[in-house]
Amino acid sequence: MKDLDYLKRLFKAYYKEKPSEIPIITDFEHREFGFIPWDTKILMNRHMSFINKDSLVKFLINNGPRHVYSSGALYLKPENQEMKSKEYYGCDFIIDIDVDHFYTPCKDDHDIWYCKECGNNGRGMPEKCPKCGKSKFKTLNWICKACLNLAKNEIIKLIYDFLLPDFGISIKDIKITFSGHRGYHLKIENEKLRTLSSDERREIVDYITGENLSFENFGLQRIGENIFGFSRETLGWSQKILRKIEEILRKPNPEIEIILSNKKRFNFSGKKIENFLNFKEDFLITIKNSHRNNWTLFGFNLNDWNKFLVPIVKEIGIEIDTPVTIDIHRLIRYPGSLHGQTGFKVQELLPDEIEVFNPLDELNEKLDPIVFESDKFITQKLEIIESNIPATEMKGETHGPYSQGEIIEVPHHIAVFLLCKGVAKTI
Amino acid sequence: MFDLIKRYPWLPSLEEYYSDISSKDPLEFIHEVFKSDKVGFLKKRILSIFNAAFENIELIQDYAADNLNIYLYIILRILLYVLDNKSISNRIANLYSKNTYNELNEDRDYNLFKIYQDLNLEVKYEEEPIIYKKRVIKDQEEIFKTKFKIFFIDYLKLASNLKDPYRKLVNNALFEGYVYVKPKNLNRLIQEYVRIKLLTQKKINLERLKELREQLFKNPEFKDLFNEIKNLWEKKKEDFEYALDTKYKRGKDMLKTFPPCIEEILSKAEEGQNLIHIERLYILWFLNALEYPEDEIINVFSKLPDFDREKTEYQVKYAIKKGYTPYSCKSLKSYNLCRAIEKNDELCLKGYYSKTKEKQQEIYHPLRYVDVMEYRNSRKLKNSKKNLEKQNEGS
Repeated sequence: MKDLDYLKRLFKAYYKEKPSEIPIITDFEHREFGFIPWDTKILMNRHMSFINKDSLVKFLINNGPRHVYSSGALYLKPENQEMKSKEYYGCDFIIDIDVDHFYTPCKDDHDIWYCKECGNNGRGMPEKCPKCGKSKFKTLNWICKACLNLAKNEIIKLIYDFLLPDFGISIKDIKITFSGHRGYHLKIENEKLRTLSSDERREIVDYITGENLSFENFGLQRIGENIFGFSRETLGWSQKILRKIEEILRKPNPEIEIILSNKKRFNFSGKKIENFLNFKEDFLITIKNSHRNNWTLFGFNLNDWNKFLVPIVKEIGIEIDTPVTIDIHRLIRYPGSLHGQTGFKVQELLPDEIEVFNPLDELNEKLDPIVFESDKFITQKLEIIESNIPATEMKGETHGPYSQGEIIEVPHHIAVFLLCKGVAKTI
Repeated sequence: MFDLIKRYPWLPSLEEYYSDISSKDPLEFIHEVFKSDKVGFLKKRILSIFNAAFENIELIQDYAADNLNIYLYIILRILLYVLDNKSISNRIANLYSKNTYNELNEDRDYNLFKIYQDLNLEVKYEEEPIIYKKRVIKDQEEIFKTKFKIFFIDYLKLASNLKDPYRKLVNNALFEGYVYVKPKNLNRLIQEYVRIKLLTQKKINLERLKELREQLFKNPEFKDLFNEIKNLWEKKKEDFEYALDTKYKRGKDMLKTFPPCIEEILSKAEEGQNLIHIERLYILWFLNALEYPEDEIINVFSKLPDFDREKTEYQVKYAIKKGYTPYSCKSLKSYNLCRAIEKNDELCLKGYYSKTKEKQQEIYHPLRYVDVMEYRNSRKLKNSKKNLEKQNEGS
């Protein structure tokens, strides 16, 4: 509890010293607020509302909560305890991209799992325990530049491959925040989008992820001995897929071979790959010509084409946390607040700021989410209380990896990060 | 706009352009309308709609874009409200909306655009048609072009109720916020809008409904019309309500309800005998109509000598997508698939007695056979339960 009290005091001090970091979001008084305190017994206090920013800041200074959330939804009576009596009247369109929800190669280095059933442990993101086959895990998720970059790239893809060209969303309606941990939130504030039901939001999710896409609908079919594919003139997903295929086909053969044999993606046998490579030049001509779409290829049946197209769709689609988008009553992190698992600020970003944004080593002070940064000569002593703590790269320096029982002396922001992660204690 | 409203009285502008009607008390409105309908045209047209709906006809024969059509629509809504019968409402809503779809498809682009605007849909019209989809099969090019595009949010609001894969946003041409769609497809969405509009009416409690009925019945013409529809329904409802839940349920033994023609094909398939093409189609469509799951349908074919899972999967998926209905008894006889005489099946040969119609009804379709058998089995089950209860009480 001592360290939790310490962190609480730190968070309170931040809110007291930096009230300007807390922006006032649109329709502020119609949002429901939720807070997770440092007391480990309480999950979340929700159904709260504030009439203005001052009252919210006052609450934050007095309580220094571990996590701060507000609703994407708008209510006439946000403080009412029953959802039905809150008088819902719309919800912003929210997309959450968080590396917690998809595989990244760097997780094999820095994410640790412990099987709750058999006690086995390892690194990465297994679906099932390789020893007992159960899927109940305790995990220790870390952050690194690589996975945060992957999340950032997904946001950029989302904006420039989907929201602007396909949905015609105005860039000024898009608001992005770095979540303060392993992802980004994108919010679209648009009156018409606010009226969408959960089912209608799911349709947009399907479009963005490529879920429920019908290859047959875009023209893939077998007629007699021939297989016919997509046309370049078909707007929407058909064009995206053809562009991606072209991108793959333009790679040198050995590289294509590696891609197509990848067990986690295409998983084609050597013979199929050989057939595919023999057809490569013809296929390239076919997909570029709007009058041709005969995809007949020796040894490649309709199932093979489906098998080829599924990973392509996966690669084009965006890795989003679907429930966040379709749940109209979900609470999301409040911009400018602190994330209790890292001590980082939930940083607001403009779409043109995200490309160069680097949360672990941000040069622009205004955008820097590491608010507890100290001079590297001001250090704190800690004892590591968990085993196998991965290395942490922050502010151009690497700290760790550490082992259980190790006594370390690290800069203040690293100490806050390790304390928030619950892997160290002050001594 | 007046002409459009006469043709499409469900348009939101009705309230604005015919404010004299919308501001009127329903009782007063009904009284005036029936008073002016001396020849009985209105009543005739309303009854013809109910008749068509009960007879499964998909067209309103005497549909006319006149003033009477506006009254007809309003009275239709009042009638559905006071009839308070889901089966009737569904039938009328389906028929009326299908008719609307046909009317819309006949209309000019200019009118369609005005209709979309009136529905507050953000639809844009291009002078030159835009190609948004193309399929090339051999040397044949199938080009999809349209002058209409609809804002994706409006599209979602209309389409998310309809579950066909091709209507999903992900399978459509979306560009710069607009879904490119042929007017025919857009009209299908409007059809759904009209259907829902007819089905969605403000709920009131039974007491209030009774009161409203009594008030409306003060008008004798309305009361007569109401009763005529009720009588019509009483005669026909057996055909619709009599059918039980004859859909597939996992674990439920449906074989006992199957007609001899199906039994024969199933037993041949089970023994691994070859099935002719027409037998394969029939069994596939039959099981699909009962909503058998895809894997179970494929399993029926799995013992055939030339079974190819991939091909079968493709054909089954295709049939499910198309939703073909199985052959009627008449067709089965012509294909020599009917086994009624051979098996001496009483239901096939003699039909069944309808209590409501007080006459013998023939079996004209294998699905009807399943319905009747399902009904009989459920009666048997009910009776045996009752007997068991009586026995228990006695002991």
